[in-house]
Amino acid sequence: MEDAHLILFWLSLAAYGAEAGFRLAGVAPSSPRRSPLFAGVLLHAAFLGIRWVLSGHAPMAGLFESLTVFSFCCAVAGLLLCRSEETSMAWKPLSVLVLLPQAGAALIDKRLTPLYPALDTPWFATHVGLSFLGYGFFAAGLALGIVYLRSGGEAAYRAAGKSALYGFSAFSAGMVCGGIWAYYAWGSYWIWTPKEIWSVIVWIYFATLTHLKFIPAQGGWPGWTKRLEMGATAAGYGVVLLTFLGVSLLLRSSHSF
Amino acid sequence: MALWRFLTSLKTCAWAGLVFCVAGAAGSVAMGRFPELFADMDAQVFAGWFARKGLVDPAPTLWLYGLLSCTGLLVVNAACCTFERLVQIFRGTVTMRRLLPHVMHLAFLGVVLSHLVSAVYGDRIPGVAIPQGGFAPVGGTGWVMRLDRFDAVMAPEGYPKDFSATVTLFRDRTPVARGVVRTNEPLFHEGYGIYIKNFGTSPWGAPYAVFDANRDPGATAILVASLLFSAANLLYLFPARRNDA
Repeated sequence: MEDAHLILFWLSLAAYGAEAGFRLAGVAPSSPRRSPLFAGVLLHAAFLGIRWVLSGHAPMAGLFESLTVFSFCCAVAGLLLCRSEETSMAWKPLSVLVLLPQAGAALIDKRLTPLYPALDTPWFATHVGLSFLGYGFFAAGLALGIVYLRSGGEAAYRAAGKSALYGFSAFSAGMVCGGIWAYYAWGSYWIWTPKEIWSVIVWIYFATLTHLKFIPAQGGWPGWTKRLEMGATAAGYGVVLLTFLGVSLLLRSSHSF
Repeated sequence: MALWRFLTSLKTCAWAGLVFCVAGAAGSVAMGRFPELFADMDAQVFAGWFARKGLVDPAPTLWLYGLLSCTGLLVVNAACCTFERLVQIFRGTVTMRRLLPHVMHLAFLGVVLSHLVSAVYGDRIPGVAIPQGGFAPVGGTGWVMRLDRFDAVMAPEGYPKDFSATVTLFRDRTPVARGVVRTNEPLFHEGYGIYIKNFGTSPWGAPYAVFDANRDPGATAILVASLLFSAANLLYLFPARRNDA
């Protein structure tokens, strides 16, 4: 069973690969529910559920599980936000954003590992799960931002705005859970590490971003236009990637996988 | 008037947010490049650390000045914005829809100000090492802690699956608190949390455990403000409530 559940992982990877291949070739399904990606999400959900049961903890510990949950959240956020015909163009970049973390996870050791005592708490699943859900919405924001910058369209603009707002909301709730957990585990809701600092950067960045739409457009630099807002929405994914992977791979932080 | 416009402006919020992000990014790199400066940031409350190191060697800590200045500006900006809008709202029709963003602003102010209280009036007592059956003073609290018993469950691979310590706190030889401390389950007494951080075996074979004792007087207020923020945020997600701020 321990190895068998990985079949679902490989099948979901194949489905995501097929979706990205079709999208890049210009072939679009008639609706998101009839897409390989939708089938991939179902397989992926089954994989994560079985792995949760097998390991006895939320499958969000370590780089492999983090990447595959990241991919899953990107797909779910896309399915929630890119349902209309106007926003379906976002699936071209988004299918790649779903595929890449899953493909990255495929290269990593997939063995089930027990949790360290500090991670053995319900706050672990809520903190990490909500944070990754936020990351998923921010990935959808990149795809929708690209669509708006290339083709315009009010539907893409509104959906990108929702991606920032929903992502910010999930990430904020994740930070609250993380603070409560840290208070019980380490003795303080806040510690000075690069990971914590970058988490606050993500929070401030998207908090600021959700305010941009209320600034009236005007002449001169930077103009405060919708294009600026969409550019910032797309760039936000870079901030997220630096927080998720950059800090762990480039900077020394005790709060890492 | 120009100052009020600046303090209530969304553009001020946008620029302060941007500078905050740049300062924070610089800081995350600086922390790795100057470990002799930043390694002990969590060994005491922030105000104490900043008074000792932030003012002595300003160049590598320049990012912190940026971070603190932007945080201050964002707090004032949110407070002024909310004050201005609340006056307008209460002169007109008060609806939950119009209030929610300002509830989030007030919760944000609550988090920052409560953190300021913790950063100034909190306490950090790291590294209280006690052998099983032994005693050790707990910083300047006036308590002496005894490690009554230490238990660890080790996995076959050699890492700890679970560990716990039964401790008793004494003041003037009188027991004032007793409990079991394990990871994620500290012992709280008079505003302090006792946390188990490490364990091992002494050269003469007795197990020992290492504890931190921390006090964060703003923690409860931060929790309340954070929950208030999350609740307002959740209500704000309903489509009908999202049209104006």
